[in-house]
Amino acid sequence: MAKQLQKLKALAPARGYVIAHKDVKNPPKLFGGPISVTVTQSSGGVFVALPDRRRLDTYVFGTPSMPRAFAGTPGINGVPPPAREAEDDHYTRMKKPSPFGDKYLVMADGRMELHAVDATAVDGATTEDQVRFKASWKDKQGNTYEVRCCGMLASHGMEFPTFGGVVTNHILHGVTRLGTALMPTEFAYVAFWGMGEVRKNGKVLDKPRLIHGMLTEYVRGEGYKLAFDDEVTPTRMQFHLMIPPFMPDPPNLSFTEKPVKTGFTLPNGMELPFWHVMFENLETKAERGQ
Amino acid sequence: MMTFRITLLSGLFTLSVLSAACSSAQTPPKAPPAPDAVVGMTNTLRFEPDTVRVPVGGTVEWRNTSLLVHTVTGDPARATLEGSARLPEGAEPFDSGNLEPEAVFRHTFTVPGVYGYFCIPHEGAKMKGVVIVSPKQ
Repeated sequence: MAKQLQKLKALAPARGYVIAHKDVKNPPKLFGGPISVTVTQSSGGVFVALPDRRRLDTYVFGTPSMPRAFAGTPGINGVPPPAREAEDDHYTRMKKPSPFGDKYLVMADGRMELHAVDATAVDGATTEDQVRFKASWKDKQGNTYEVRCCGMLASHGMEFPTFGGVVTNHILHGVTRLGTALMPTEFAYVAFWGMGEVRKNGKVLDKPRLIHGMLTEYVRGEGYKLAFDDEVTPTRMQFHLMIPPFMPDPPNLSFTEKPVKTGFTLPNGMELPFWHVMFENLETKAERGQ
Repeated sequence: MMTFRITLLSGLFTLSVLSAACSSAQTPPKAPPAPDAVVGMTNTLRFEPDTVRVPVGGTVEWRNTSLLVHTVTGDPARATLEGSARLPEGAEPFDSGNLEPEAVFRHTFTVPGVYGYFCIPHEGAKMKGVVIVSPKQ
């Protein structure tokens, strides 16, 4: 099993690309100059994803006789076929729950502020990209959950590129294999990856943690079901905050599993091991220049 | 055609101020007329009920009973998906703007016909409703 996992990680599709870029001292700058982006939510609730067994999209995952998107660390990149349920010659859903699915809670008083600059074009050993991010929301008991980022930006990725830590106007997830294939293929107006911290009622619970945020086209459907590729709504936006139950493993250009200390208890008594939070009452601003 | 947008809290505040002012003037406060239909807006991204019927000249009241910000938008020009909004011929578009949790929006329908409306931030999640306005008998 451990050997199989190592093989899957070694086969991450962008591994060679990351190797070619990760030590570049002065990575090229963004063509046309830097882009500054601000995204805010100043009121209203948020959608908090609960563990669920993601339905599997043939466009992304292929079929049992012709599987796609199987390599890389399971869950944060690909999904190995043994982790998939199948009927006849099509996949149905994941065998185990993940942060990506149709179940959610609504929590109150969601606030979020992202200031990002995309200056560096590609992965490298250094970056001129910048991120200031904070987000918070409250549960029914009045506890406040908060995330802050980024003490350090992911100047290069592990199993897939991070474009200096901030990328703008790029397609991600799904068939791209940039990020988990469990999210649909989606256009991201801005996305970032960095190391930050998780708080509850002002107390730091977990630090450092990998924080990923992105403003994308709308990828939920009726009943808030996570869309397949052919169900995405290109004309509306949502912001996703993801703190995965994984930590980067830089020496191996990979990830290792590590639940997030969220401080939020699920109805079954377990602590929610990730944060996957959607903000949809947004104001956005973007311009060329810093 | 009339549109009102208030929050419950500011509404209560206004009523208490009016009440104080009016009691000194010996004039009883005038309560707003009861709406002909009431629609809730939920955390499950639904207008409940999703279809209501009112007579021409009738008023519908939408109450944001969720923790989310919603809109009530009966304006085809603001829709980005086919079927999100439609108006009878001669009817004016309407839009509540952002309704915070507990906020209330009222709209009076003066043109008979079928109105389709939606919530702007949750249009992709198909949060939409219908008002059927009956002509005078």
